Amino acid sequence: MPRAIAYHRPDSVEDAVALLNDNSHQPLAGGTVLNGDDDPTPVTMVDLQGCGLNGISGDAGRLRLGAMTTLHDMVNDDRVPTGLAGAAQAELPSTLRTLATVGGTVATGNADSILLAALLVHDARVELVGPGGYETLPLADLLKAGVAAGHVVTAVEFDPSGDCVRQSTARTPSDTPIVSATARNADDGVRLALTGMADHPVLTDPRDPTTGLEPISDFRGSADYRRKLAEVLTKRAVNAIGGVT
Amino acid sequence: MEVTFELNGTNRTVDCAPYETLLALLRREGMVSVRFGSTSGETGASAVLIDGRLASSEVVLAVQAGGHSVTTVESLNTDGDLHPIQAAFAATGAMQSGYSVGAMVLGTLALLEHDPNPDENAIRDMLSGILDRETAYVKPVAAIQQAAAVLRGEEVEPFRPLMITPMTDGVNPIVLDPDDGPPIGSPAIPRVVPSKDVPTTAVVGQPEVKVDAFRLVKGNPAFTDDFEMRGLLYAKVLRSPYAHARIISIDDSAARALPGVHAVIHHGNVPRVKYASGGQSYPNPKPHDQVSFDNKVRHVGDRVAAVAAETVEIAQEACSLIEVTWEVLPAVFDELEALSGNAPVIHDENDTTDIADSSRNLVHRMDVERGDVEAALSTADHYYEQTFRVHQVQQCPIEPHISVAWLDSDERLVVRTATQVPFHTRRMLAPLIGRDIKDIRIIKPRIGGGFGVKQEMLIEDVVAHLAIATRRPVRLELSREEEFVSSRTRHPQTMTYRTGVNNDGVLVAQEMRLVGNTGPFGTHGFSVQAVAGLRGLTSYNAPNKRFDCEVAYTNIPVPGAYRGYGAPQALFGLECHMEDIAADLELDPIDFRRQNWAKTGDELNLAPHIGEQALVEGEFDEYPIVMSDGIEECVAQGARAIGWHRREDRLWREPAEQPHIRRGIGYAHAMHGTAIPFLDMGGCFIKLNDDGSFNMLVGAADLGTGADTVLGQIAAEVLGVPLDDIQVYSSDTDVTPFDTGAYASSTTYISGTAALKAAEVVRERLKERAAMLLDIKLPDAHLRVEGVTLEHHDDVEVFGCDVCSIELRDRRAYAPDGRSVSLEEIALDSLHLNDQEQIMGTGSYVSPTCPPPFGSTFVEIELDTETGQVTIHHMVMAVDCGVAINPVTASGQVEGGLLQALGYAHCEEFALDDDGRMLNAAFGPYWIYRADEMPRTDVFLVQTMEDSGPFGAKAVAEIPKDGVAPAIRNAIVNAVGVRINQLPFTPERVFDALTKD
Repeated sequence: MPRAIAYHRPDSVEDAVALLNDNSHQPLAGGTVLNGDDDPTPVTMVDLQGCGLNGISGDAGRLRLGAMTTLHDMVNDDRVPTGLAGAAQAELPSTLRTLATVGGTVATGNADSILLAALLVHDARVELVGPGGYETLPLADLLKAGVAAGHVVTAVEFDPSGDCVRQSTARTPSDTPIVSATARNADDGVRLALTGMADHPVLTDPRDPTTGLEPISDFRGSADYRRKLAEVLTKRAVNAIGGVT
Repeated sequence: MEVTFELNGTNRTVDCAPYETLLALLRREGMVSVRFGSTSGETGASAVLIDGRLASSEVVLAVQAGGHSVTTVESLNTDGDLHPIQAAFAATGAMQSGYSVGAMVLGTLALLEHDPNPDENAIRDMLSGILDRETAYVKPVAAIQQAAAVLRGEEVEPFRPLMITPMTDGVNPIVLDPDDGPPIGSPAIPRVVPSKDVPTTAVVGQPEVKVDAFRLVKGNPAFTDDFEMRGLLYAKVLRSPYAHARIISIDDSAARALPGVHAVIHHGNVPRVKYASGGQSYPNPKPHDQVSFDNKVRHVGDRVAAVAAETVEIAQEACSLIEVTWEVLPAVFDELEALSGNAPVIHDENDTTDIADSSRNLVHRMDVERGDVEAALSTADHYYEQTFRVHQVQQCPIEPHISVAWLDSDERLVVRTATQVPFHTRRMLAPLIGRDIKDIRIIKPRIGGGFGVKQEMLIEDVVAHLAIATRRPVRLELSREEEFVSSRTRHPQTMTYRTGVNNDGVLVAQEMRLVGNTGPFGTHGFSVQAVAGLRGLTSYNAPNKRFDCEVAYTNIPVPGAYRGYGAPQALFGLECHMEDIAADLELDPIDFRRQNWAKTGDELNLAPHIGEQALVEGEFDEYPIVMSDGIEECVAQGARAIGWHRREDRLWREPAEQPHIRRGIGYAHAMHGTAIPFLDMGGCFIKLNDDGSFNMLVGAADLGTGADTVLGQIAAEVLGVPLDDIQVYSSDTDVTPFDTGAYASSTTYISGTAALKAAEVVRERLKERAAMLLDIKLPDAHLRVEGVTLEHHDDVEVFGCDVCSIELRDRRAYAPDGRSVSLEEIALDSLHLNDQEQIMGTGSYVSPTCPPPFGSTFVEIELDTETGQVTIHHMVMAVDCGVAINPVTASGQVEGGLLQALGYAHCEEFALDDDGRMLNAAFGPYWIYRADEMPRTDVFLVQTMEDSGPFGAKAVAEIPKDGVAPAIRNAIVNAVGVRINQLPFTPERVFDALTKD
């Protein structure tokens, strides 16, 4: 069976949550992930584009991205710090960037997502809504737990100060990194996030980035090689922000 | 459901299913410029503007677009003229197949709205989402810059080749001056190094706009899927999940019972007719080890059954309802293991003949020798032996395989299909469906990339069987995953070179031992390995040579024809080997090759022994001699453009400010072929129309290569008319003359000569009719042979023949005394008024010669010694292809070939798990180069006059594939002294090689 057997476009987040009570209903953000695979499981799509989740707001202290903010919007908004905007640009090619959303990126939790790594080092927090109401939790916790069924990401907010820098190794300059290290000087120290070292991007200790991590081995990089890369790239990323480990 | 949106400025309300993609809906609504590349959207062939922003419509549900505005390229086609963006793409030759040009035009529209003066980074970022296998993005970037300038109201220079002063005399090497820099300016502009032996011509050698440019930039219907058929059914193929298994039983009852299903076919109801699917001349090389549907599967993705149904979704569901009972068998994937005698037997059936030794999975054994290699190796001053391994990659045409079959009004079977070989397909299909060749018609429309993967009778039998069973038109389009695992790939190989060299640096003997991995089927398995031996052992002279080859069956996805066809593999090994020998002997790498490379006057002492179907023993009376070469000029131009002298500069190679970085420059020499002598043949037919224009029918298959344009230019040159006056139609087995098809770099040379001959026949008749109209009498000395050919006088003054000295130019026929008559007048006179006749001519050509093109490839790299990551900064290729009939399309061919060769060397590979399943059968995990990461790419076309070719032409299509991999490998040697003898140069492999030392 084709994937989408029915489609709803609710006008409000509350209506969306009510529809998502049914397990066969899936939230649809940009569609680059959901519509992009060949999984034949029948689902009903609940399109979030009408729920008022667009928009970038906030101030120098915290910037808030509505969940339906596209990566293209992030690249083109001056309030988004350069390193983070660069991560949004490098995350996907032009024709997918205009569709993919920050909320969808968070919900997918892809292990190689450099955008998630950049959000992590910017102390991102995710606002979700479910049958029980709203809650906010650190992005790192959400990536570990995943978005529970029936819940919708409504916003991602972060500290825009202190630009982040990324060092990565990939097969080619635009390829998804095998491992990447993203670093940022926060007020209380260096934040460091790695991709390609766990089943989602992770914050780690810049002085000891790989302890406790069990990277997979695949055709792009063995576990051993990924650990070596993580060490090298962490050092470079931290040096690039002038940070002391 | 209903969806309402604004399409190209008009509100539309359309019925659709919730699962229907915006791509499918737009195509259904007639917007055929929006095309399929993959369901995950990275190719961008489906990109449209949604609210003014470029987005892949493959990943958007039609219903998501409700309430938005959608723009396609058709919005620009309000009248006959081209929008300036479309005009710029046409003028700069910025498309080969043009499959994705609609997306590029839309992306440019959106970009220039936002920024009328975008820098190159912004342009390349916009193109990052539009994957192109054919242009290396070089000319598209130039097209966009030109369009931006035009829209800003600026004057732009016409897009013309840049003539570069030759650096050599064509024979002798020069010493490079490090201060002499390469020509500056956009790499998109074709650089031509002219030869004084090449005459000036009016249409040939000119940067004519492609004859199909108009329809491509407008997104008009052109490709297989763009033509409507009433009552169309959709096919899907059930694929094997196992690499090796017997089908014990198939129960199709549930599938048949599903409403909307019209036919289900498999080995139980399709006749078992043996064939080999490779698109090659009759008789197809043995073994014929395939059947349409077998009772055994031999690779993950192999055919099990096929369904025709009302919709793709129903066909897909029906496939999942087919119940198969399997006996899973052990599988083998490595060629050496397969031959070991301990591996499962892949072809154990009793009706396949001519397998060399099926118990060992040995398909072919080839062995040919000149002289005595062992004796020469044992007495040589120096002996070298090295083994190399080359891997599996896919052609990745952005348009996957697609075919539509139907019964016409006479109930003949017609197939419109994306094929490089329509005539071979017709012949090969006939026995599979139990029909005569005369009852089959194959039509080749525009193709969205082939590169050899469509040199195969791959899915035409499936749609044919289903069309006959259902008596309805049936369409089959492969998914991107099927394109990876169920079509064709390059042949992996393990090769060992053994070479004997004397102290003076001259080769005395060279041997190539090759084990080719042909996967489960022999298709192209003989010929590709044979070409590998041919190319691997003829670049350099040596009196003693031996080619010793085994071809093995394994259970990997099926290799077939891929541009280069054994040469990229062989020349990787050869050019690495020669580099290392030079280093060991402390000789300059270019000087060492120069002492030994085959050049003008040299005999190719092994070439005739290696044929498409068999090796030939014994001595020949004559061996082919190289008649022309531009090697020294290629080397000089390439070396200057890359800055070759920097290789020796330690400060450049080891930048102090970046201690973990090493830089290097590498080089590779290439010699390739031009068509297959005594085999490749093409025909052409030309007729005159009432207005003095011509229709030209050719069997040659233009896959975006520009063949129609090039053949048209050749005819236009002979007939003295602009290219626009030649309407080219190719290739349709009912209408056009035969042509072996688009492969072996043969179209310009073979089909071009056929076009030349047909045009000459027409020219002679035009001259005679002009003489009649101008009242010039035919003298007795003017000979005419009835029918096809005409005799010319070589020396007009001796015979004083005024008819022969009539010249055709500018659409007129000019007598020696200056009087003239237009071709239109001749047409009206001959068709309607006097001694009426249809002026027409035919020509066909097969060649006894195969003049080699030559190339020099140079690459500059940077290597990160702490991670193993290699970055390519600059690629240069200088090619001697004789005379480029169209320098824009020719340089475009080189650019596209270099991009594919770069992927072969650097990042493309099939990752198979232990069960033979491909782990990365999608764009992304299988990475092909994007616009925003391409190294600077420079192409030089070095002219030589090849007398045997039409207007001096040789071939250019495949040689660009041959030099990049060894040049990168040799650049790595220059940078860090490490020798990597396998592909691709991915970070971990390079890191391991660095740390192993």
